Amino acid sequence: MTDLVGSPETTEAVDRIGLRRRRWTGDLTFRGVLAALAVGTTLILGFMMVGSFVTAAPVYQKFGIIGFLTGTKWEPSFTIYGAWPFIYGTVLTSLLALLIAVPISVLIALLLTDLAPARLRGPLGVAVDLLAAVPSVVYGLWGLLVLVPVMRPFEQGVAGTLGKVVPFLGPPTPGPSYFAAAVILAVMTVPIISAVTREVFASTPRLQREAVLALGGTRWDVARTVTIPIGRAGLLAAIVLGLGRAIGETIAVTLVVGNSNNIGTSIFAPGFTLASVIANEFNEATETLHPEALIALGTVLLVISVLVNAGAITIRDRFTGGLRSGF
Amino acid sequence: MASEAVAAFAPTDRRRRVKANLLVICAAIALILALIPLVAVFGYVFVNGIRSMLSLDFLIQDPPADLSATGGGVRNALVGTLEMTGLATLIAVPIALGMAVFAVEVGGRLAQAARFLIDVLAGLPSIVVGIFIYTSVVVTQGHFSGLAGSLALAIVMLPVVTVSAEEILRLTPRPIAEGARALGLTRWRAIMSVFVPVGLSGIITGILLGVSRAIGETAPLIFTSLGNNFFTLDLNQPMQALPLLIYRNALNSAFDAARDRAFGAALLLILIVLGFNLAGRWLTARRRLAGSSR
Repeated sequence: MTDLVGSPETTEAVDRIGLRRRRWTGDLTFRGVLAALAVGTTLILGFMMVGSFVTAAPVYQKFGIIGFLTGTKWEPSFTIYGAWPFIYGTVLTSLLALLIAVPISVLIALLLTDLAPARLRGPLGVAVDLLAAVPSVVYGLWGLLVLVPVMRPFEQGVAGTLGKVVPFLGPPTPGPSYFAAAVILAVMTVPIISAVTREVFASTPRLQREAVLALGGTRWDVARTVTIPIGRAGLLAAIVLGLGRAIGETIAVTLVVGNSNNIGTSIFAPGFTLASVIANEFNEATETLHPEALIALGTVLLVISVLVNAGAITIRDRFTGGLRSGF
Repeated sequence: MASEAVAAFAPTDRRRRVKANLLVICAAIALILALIPLVAVFGYVFVNGIRSMLSLDFLIQDPPADLSATGGGVRNALVGTLEMTGLATLIAVPIALGMAVFAVEVGGRLAQAARFLIDVLAGLPSIVVGIFIYTSVVVTQGHFSGLAGSLALAIVMLPVVTVSAEEILRLTPRPIAEGARALGLTRWRAIMSVFVPVGLSGIITGILLGVSRAIGETAPLIFTSLGNNFFTLDLNQPMQALPLLIYRNALNSAFDAARDRAFGAALLLILIVLGFNLAGRWLTARRRLAGSSR
C-alpha cells in the first residue's frame, strides 16, 4: 500500500479526480443554466398570469367576483358586465360536444386496438389523427358555410316536434347556435380523446386480452372484460383532456355559435362562449371597462381550464404512470 | 378468478356473437362518422380554394383594401405567417429542449415543478396565451406588433416541443445511456453527444408538430399581431397571418370575393400545416422502422 504513494499510478488517479472536479464544474454550470431557464420561464409566465388579473382587477372591484361571475347581463354601452351567459355557453357547448364525441372516440379506439384488421389500424389511425391537424379557423369556415346550412333542416325538424314538449330543444332555429358549436367541437375533440384512449387501451395487458379470446370469448368479451375496465381511469383522463380542449377552443366556435349576449333557453339558440365573446368583441372594445371586462372573462377561462387540466393531470399520473401523449 | 372468467363466457350462444358483430358495426359507423368531416373539410376547401390557388398572383400580390373586391392575393399573410412562426420557433425550441433535459435528466423538485408548468401550459387555451402577451407586451409597447405575435406563438409551441422532446429523452435505450455514463462522460456531455444525437429525429418530429400547431393558430394573434392589410417585414408593425386573413374574410363571407379568398387561403394553410405534420410523422415512422430492424 505505502509504495503507491507518489507512484505514477497514484498521480494519474489524482489527476483523474482533478479532471473529474473540472467536469463536475461543467455539470454544475449545465445544471445551473437549465435551472435558470426553467425558473425564468416559470417566472415570466407567472408574471403574465398575474398581469392579466391586474388588468382585469377594476372589473372585479366594480362588480365583485361573485357579482361578475353570476351577472346575467352583458351590456357594454351601459357599462354592465356579467360573465354568466358566457360561462353557461362554454359549459353547455363543451358538455354537448363530449356527449357526441366520447362514444365515437371510445368506439374508434376499440376499433383501432382490438377490432380492425391489423393492416388497417395504422392508416386509419393516421386519418383520425389528421382531424387534429386541421386548423381551427378552417373548421370554422367550413362549419359556417357548410355544416350550419346542412344541419338547419334537422334542427328545425327537432324543434318542430320534440321542441314542442321540451323547451331545451325548441325554436328558434336560426342556424348558428350552441348546438352547431357543439358539433364542431365534437369533430375537433374526437381525435384528441380517441388518440389518448387508444394508447390507454393498447397498453392493457395483451396476455389477458388473448386469454379471453383463448377461452372462446368474442371481441366484445375482450372489450367488456379487459380493455374497458382496465383502461377506465385512462379513459377518464382522456375525456377530461378533451373537455379542456373544448372549453378553450375559440375561432371555430366564434364563427358558428351565433354571437348573442343572451342566454338561449334552447340548444338551437344563438349564444356566446367565454373564448368566442373575447375574440369577437376585443378589437371593437371601446366602451368604458369593455377591454378590461373581456380580459376578466379571459381570467375566468384561465381558472376553469387550469382546474380541468389539473384534474386530467392528476387522474393521468395516478392511474397511468405518467403517460403524456396526446397533450 | 379463472373459473369466474370461464363462467362469464360459458354460454356459447348466438347472442354473444351477435353482440360482438354489433360492436364491430357500431365502431365502424363511429369511424365513418369521424372521417366524414375530414373528407368533407378537405374536399370542400380543395374544390373552393383551388381556383384562387391556381393563379400565381394569389401568392405574390396583396389583398385589395376592400374585402369585397375581387383580385389580389395573400402575399402579406403568407409572409407574415412564415416570419412570425419562424421567429416563434427560434424562441421556443431552445427553451423547450432545455426544459425537457431539465425535467428528465436533472430531476428533483424543481424539475417536477417544471413538468407541471409544461402540463398546465399544454392545456391552456391559446386565446389566454394571447391575453397574456397583450397585457404584458402589447400594452407595454403601446401597439400591436409581429413581435408580440411571435411571442404568443412561441408560448403555444413550447409545451408541444417540450413534451415530445421529454418523451424522446426518456426513451433513449438504457444500455446506451448507462454506457455513456460508464465511459466517464459527465451528464451534459452524455446528453449532448449521446442522448440528443440518438433522439434527433424524434426531437425534430416534435419541432415539426409544434410548428404545424402554431401556424394554424388564430386566437392568440387577434390580441398580438392584430393583422395588417399591407405587406410588411417589420416585426414592430402589426402583421397579417393566414389564419387571421381567413377569419376576417370568413366574417365577410357574404361577399363572393371574400369567400373565395378565405377558401384559397384555407387551402394554402392546410397544405402548409399538413406538410409539416406529415413530415413529422414520416420521420417518426422511419425511426420506428429503424428501431425494429435493429
